[in-house]
Amino acid sequence: MWRKTCLSIILAVSVLAGQAQAAETIKLGALYNLTGGMSSIDAPALRGAKLKAQLLNEQGGVLGKQLEVIGYDTKTDQKAAATQAKKALSDGVVAGLGYGDTTFVMAAAPAFQAKGVPFVTSGATHPELPKWVGDYMFMAPFGDDDQSYAIADYTYKVLGARQVVVWTDNSMDFTKALSKFFKERFQELGGEIILEDFFMMGDKDFSAQIARLKNTSPKPDAVFISAIPNEAGLTVKQIRESGLDLPIVSGDGFDTELVTSVPGPELANDVYFSTHTYRGDDRPEVLNFIEEYNKAYGRDPENAFCPLGFDAVGLIADALERAGSTDGEALRDALANTKGYQAVTGEITYARPSGVPVKGVSIISVHDGKYNVEKVWYPEY
Amino acid sequence: MYTLSQRLVFIGLALAGGLLILLMRQFLNDYILSIAGFVGIYVILAVSLNITNGFTGLFSLGHPAFMAIGGYTCAILTFPVQRKGYFLSGLPDWLAGTELSFFPALLIGGLFAALGSLLIGLPVLRLRGHYLAVATLGVIIIVQVLITNMGGITRGPLGLNGLPTLTNLWWVYLWVLITLYLGWKLKFSSFGRSMLAIREDEMAADCLGINLLRTRVQALMVGAFLAGVAGGLWAHLVTAITPKSFSLILAFTIVVMVVVGGSGSITGSLLAAVIFSMLTEAFRPLEESLNVYGIGEIVLSLILILILIYRPIGLFGTSEPGWLSPGKRKSLSGTAGD
Amino acid sequence: MSGGYILQQLVNGLILGSMYALIAIGFTMIYGIIRLINFAHGDVVMIGSFMTLAFLQALGWPFYLVALAVMVGGALVGVAIERSVFRPMRGAPQVTGFIASLALSIMIQNMGILLLTAQPRNFSFPDIFQQVITLGAVSFRMVDLVIMLTAWILMIGLILLVKMTRLGVGMRATAENLEVARLMGININRTIMATFAIGGSLAATAGLMYGGKFGQIDPLLGFVPGLKSFVAAVVGGVGSIAGAICGGYIIGMAEVLFVGFLPPIYSAYRDAFVFGLLILILLFMPNGLFGKKSEDRA
Repeated sequence: MWRKTCLSIILAVSVLAGQAQAAETIKLGALYNLTGGMSSIDAPALRGAKLKAQLLNEQGGVLGKQLEVIGYDTKTDQKAAATQAKKALSDGVVAGLGYGDTTFVMAAAPAFQAKGVPFVTSGATHPELPKWVGDYMFMAPFGDDDQSYAIADYTYKVLGARQVVVWTDNSMDFTKALSKFFKERFQELGGEIILEDFFMMGDKDFSAQIARLKNTSPKPDAVFISAIPNEAGLTVKQIRESGLDLPIVSGDGFDTELVTSVPGPELANDVYFSTHTYRGDDRPEVLNFIEEYNKAYGRDPENAFCPLGFDAVGLIADALERAGSTDGEALRDALANTKGYQAVTGEITYARPSGVPVKGVSIISVHDGKYNVEKVWYPEY
Repeated sequence: MYTLSQRLVFIGLALAGGLLILLMRQFLNDYILSIAGFVGIYVILAVSLNITNGFTGLFSLGHPAFMAIGGYTCAILTFPVQRKGYFLSGLPDWLAGTELSFFPALLIGGLFAALGSLLIGLPVLRLRGHYLAVATLGVIIIVQVLITNMGGITRGPLGLNGLPTLTNLWWVYLWVLITLYLGWKLKFSSFGRSMLAIREDEMAADCLGINLLRTRVQALMVGAFLAGVAGGLWAHLVTAITPKSFSLILAFTIVVMVVVGGSGSITGSLLAAVIFSMLTEAFRPLEESLNVYGIGEIVLSLILILILIYRPIGLFGTSEPGWLSPGKRKSLSGTAGD
Repeated sequence: MSGGYILQQLVNGLILGSMYALIAIGFTMIYGIIRLINFAHGDVVMIGSFMTLAFLQALGWPFYLVALAVMVGGALVGVAIERSVFRPMRGAPQVTGFIASLALSIMIQNMGILLLTAQPRNFSFPDIFQQVITLGAVSFRMVDLVIMLTAWILMIGLILLVKMTRLGVGMRATAENLEVARLMGININRTIMATFAIGGSLAATAGLMYGGKFGQIDPLLGFVPGLKSFVAAVVGGVGSIAGAICGGYIIGMAEVLFVGFLPPIYSAYRDAFVFGLLILILLFMPNGLFGKKSEDRA
């Protein structure tokens, strides 16, 4: 019996798929983990990406054609990332974009590189990504080194911290890299790491680490927490509830409403993080983006990955216009020559040999549950 | 025993498969080919888990752990020497200077997985039923945590990437054939009968002089060896491997294939593996055009539950289609269909 | 390492253990009656936490009403699961039920993502639960105390229910031998349904507490606690309510103590320790701490 069911499902599917491919469009392959553990990070990015395409299409599209962002769900599974990259390529996409995490980029992007089709990651921040994949690999966000250096500078120079504790999520590459660069810079400046502690993504209870933090002597001046958004609010809440009031510093993993909403405004105090220049910013790009996002989805952007997805499509569209064609090589060259592109998350220029964009990094403070941009940090290059 | 015509059927099927691959490689795009590759890997996994779970009645969820061991071993062995020392600081010099070709690397990967299963199996296989399931589930998590934290050898959570694309359909097909052949031989050998005897009635098997623990461990090791090889094929098809590549969900998927196909039926596992891995892909166009993701999983789980309700022994039960079973005639046994 | 530090870590272990115990009780009850490892139990916890969110924050009901509604809602979910999935499967091999529950779990999680998105949501309990209580060097919150008390009250209540009431006798008889219980005139369907209702209700209550404790919920939250309480139930001996509580405390304590008293780098090995411990316990006590000697061979 179920053979029949399957057959009819497959039939229905193929009919639907046929309809979708009616008009002549420029296709972009957006690879994201829309289900599974990474979906809280990746799904908003795809919404941002689709929004940009929609806005561009309302203004007449790109190169006179409509832009089509096809979302490929890779299910938080690297096997799916590898096959869907190939699927996107066989569907004839002119460029790929996707992912907020390095490990998935590394499963998908090499296929694009091999076919000579550019791939722009919207949220993966490992500074060596372009080196690992090759010259068709581009990053929309800054590198982890930049954001870690920015917050390390701020912690040392502005907060005046000399002795800090570092907490690292040891289950992710992103968080490990972030800690590594933070420690590097902080020690260079003359600061001292007095304790390192670890946890794993998905941990909900940090009581054991907090008890140790409380018992550290000498008393630390600040704690650096390298975590993704899912643990950001939890750590702040639990640390503050335990009565500790030392400054908590972090990177863009803390760029989420959860940092204030989970602990509540009374406990969300003295938190500082470096992130994409977007939150709390009043540049017209940002305000416009938030307004359009609200119009399209009926809510505020969930996290910084929304504008990053939006910017990844923006970068590609901008390069397509300048290249004047959808040819992979021309598009790559145009992308590599991007200068001063006005993205929602700041101005993007590819000027460094590493292929990592030169972008400003916002330092944001949280006091009484309110976000405030303290300064914008620029990398030296 | 096998009749001559049955042997010919086997050889004919194998050749037909080869021809199919030749045609596929000629006419189909990379995407379909990579899907076909994973279908083959799932066949290896399902049939090998069937040797452990289906034949012997052990309920092991440990396959992903063995895949991880085999996959990492294989990937480290084939990793280009010039980048190896830089990426993997913890490797001893002789290993950092070694670069093997694919086949021996796969074999060694499989052997390491089998070795791992021996170490795990000797204590754990004294457990029964659910307890064994829980313990092997623990093994998955322990292996995952160890790989994550042994950065010098495994590169931690980042995993090994930029692996050479060594896996192609021919390699997968070769191992599918080896797996099927092995499964078949085992099932219809005295060892296979011992395994089935343990599954059906442990006490009776014990009385007949079958060494329970040894037979169990051997069954686990055979399954683990093939899982290790599958892990190596997997890694070189994705060209990346991380601690999270092989998860509990994967264990679940493989178990589903075995149960739906029928515990103990090689044909059943083979077909279930093919159908399930293709079905997941079949839902994609629907999800992409409707912009709702996750429907595929929901529908598949639903189908699975329905199968479990209406046909709990799976499509084929323990049997194989009559025209393939040794010592049987066509008329004697009907294929269990749906 | 001061005395205060050691005491605080012990209390942390107790608190975490109570959370696991609370989830494990429902889990072990269902296993005890029909030998089903219900992997979807953790997802009922998730459903419970979202129900709390809806009643408390969206509808603004008073807390006692919310708690009541969540318990009733959880019971309904439990019954629905039993009627639609597990009853038609009754009598099939154990493995069948286990796999079906995994399928159910995946289905619920994906439906959760589809309907609610995977974004974690914040969750605020009434202020009284957030109060910090400090006793000497040790501090904990009201909600932790409530969780611990709830776990204990439920445990005692359930043990009494199973021992003293008609329903309890039916449950024990069904657990002993389904067919014989049926022949003795016990309404099996009703007994098993009641068990699932209680199990679902316990899971949903655990979900409410979970939300209150951590302040953040998402559609995938059930997986890890489900897994851990599964371990807890097995350590305690599946089927034994007192065992589930003990198992919960052992796992909670073990986790916190591993993290608290080993050098920090081992914090990342937390889950490996938990499962290593599990395997060790099983090897030396194959039926768990309180489990009856198991008759089922493989």
